[in-house]
Amino acid sequence: MWTLARKLLLHDRLRFAVAIAGVSVSVMLVLVQVGLYFGFMDTASSLIDASSADLWVGKAGNESFEFASPFDERTFYKVASVPGVAHAERVLMNFAQFKLADGGDLGVQIVGIETAPGTTPLLAPWHVIAGDVKRLGEPGAIVVDRTEYPKLKIDHVGHTTEVSGVRAEVVAMTRGIRSFTTSPIVFTDLRTARSYMPGLGSDAVTYVLVKVKHGVSPDWVKAQIDQLPHLAAYTTAEMSSRTRTYWSSRTGVGAGFFTTAVLGVIVGFVVVGQILYSGTLQYIREYGTLKAMGARNSMVVRVILAQAMISAALGFVVGGVLAVGMQAAMAKANLTVALFPSLYAVTLVVTIAMCSLASLLSIIKVLRLDPASVFKG
Amino acid sequence: MHALALSDTLPGIAPVERPLARLVGAGKIYGTGEHAVSALAEATLDILPGQVTLIEGPSGSGKTTLISILGLLLRPTSGQVWIEGRDVAGLIERDLPPLRARNFGFVFQGFNLFPALTALDNVAMAIQMKDPGAKDPRGEARRLLDLVGLGARGHHLPADLSGGQKQRVAIARALGGNPPILVGDEPTAALDTKTALSVMELLRELASSRGRAVVVVTHDPRLEKFADRVVRVEDGRITSA
Repeated sequence: MWTLARKLLLHDRLRFAVAIAGVSVSVMLVLVQVGLYFGFMDTASSLIDASSADLWVGKAGNESFEFASPFDERTFYKVASVPGVAHAERVLMNFAQFKLADGGDLGVQIVGIETAPGTTPLLAPWHVIAGDVKRLGEPGAIVVDRTEYPKLKIDHVGHTTEVSGVRAEVVAMTRGIRSFTTSPIVFTDLRTARSYMPGLGSDAVTYVLVKVKHGVSPDWVKAQIDQLPHLAAYTTAEMSSRTRTYWSSRTGVGAGFFTTAVLGVIVGFVVVGQILYSGTLQYIREYGTLKAMGARNSMVVRVILAQAMISAALGFVVGGVLAVGMQAAMAKANLTVALFPSLYAVTLVVTIAMCSLASLLSIIKVLRLDPASVFKG
Repeated sequence: MHALALSDTLPGIAPVERPLARLVGAGKIYGTGEHAVSALAEATLDILPGQVTLIEGPSGSGKTTLISILGLLLRPTSGQVWIEGRDVAGLIERDLPPLRARNFGFVFQGFNLFPALTALDNVAMAIQMKDPGAKDPRGEARRLLDLVGLGARGHHLPADLSGGQKQRVAIARALGGNPPILVGDEPTAALDTKTALSVMELLRELASSRGRAVVVVTHDPRLEKFADRVVRVEDGRITSA
């Protein structure tokens, strides 16, 4: 059965190539589009996912992670004194103007974190590839990502500039930390961050990151914090999910990517369906002969399904390789295509389902084929 | 189930040799009411092992309907079709493929070989389709190609074979699964005279030395010399047998 299916497919190599191209493009579109979506979502929640906090506490009513309203330090101390809290840290996050070397300004997303010698903050720059991140506690020290260098017109660690008119010096460089808003992320110490954003007040805090005591349930501590007025606490996973959902639903980015992915599946479906159907029509007398000779419908259907499965398997492999190529190409354009095993697994299932459904018309044709028709001319 | 011999079940008929298949008063009407068209009526015919039966008649006379009913490709609207010692005219469609696989091999005017498969693969695939549990379909296919004189051409695609060679491959394919009855629908019509005669010689040989029953529909009177019996069909009725 597999031999027959393979030989029938390969007999017309051009048609076979078109079928494989159709499936491959479909697979690549699905992988790249869904991968881009997850890449964007990873970017949207990357700061949250990189933290080692158990809980994120912000002002109740905050919709967006990036555009959160600040509160004052008294609230921080209230959170820090909630039973079950082992450690709390302040984060100040907002936007400021970064002075470019050519005299212009660029909006950047300031992430002010608490730094202290000998300790690792609950949120800190990661993937540091150059410079000394320990210097972040120095006044005016900032850490930016290498991918943002062209945008910020920076060419080396040690570059000095101004943020909101206050001195800033790049002390370290990271790799792969980008913001969903496209504004470059600038890590700095909390005190420096406050100096960059004087309009928020001298004791502004956007989030309190909480590490709960060993053996205490984060959910229990979260419930205690939720009782404080005007505050909302989320586990790190919840915060990440909220942020992804916000950007996915508010920007329509999810619908956009998935619509393109579905279109890819439709393209593959139509191409494979058409190729299989024309192949079935080409061999309809031979299929009829097999049925006349006593081959059961199930046997003939299996031959057609086997052709669909061969197309699916080869198309999946080629499409998967193309997607990896696209991933590398897009990385050069600072776009993340998140390809991971479960995405490949789901895409394989979708490809098999697509090709199986595409073969339905051919299957119906041979099921309805009257074996007596082979005697007619 | 115990299979009954035809002679055991049809009182008053005592053939010399036990038929492999028998039509008794078989008829076929297409459509109903005013639009009903009778394609075949009251056809009674025995198919005996070792015999070549030619079915002749003008176009539209009912020859194809006759062999379609005989080959279990078409169910009659009246009468009986006896195969393996039982009347199978009333069987439902899903029960017919195994009966066809055990009892019939078909040969067509247009050969109907898969162009993508070699001669050997065409025959082996048919064997496997008939019997998915076949032990050595390729070995059996080789043996059958040898039998029809094409042992050396097993690895050729149909496109690389002459018309006569293609028909021999088709005959080898029809012999796959060792069916006792070969049914040919104008198997020589697409061949030149010399080739046509050699194909008929092969079918004659299969009947004479291998005990196959061969039933061939033809318009060609030159083939009558190979036949044990000529059945004429006119206006949906067997006029001479």
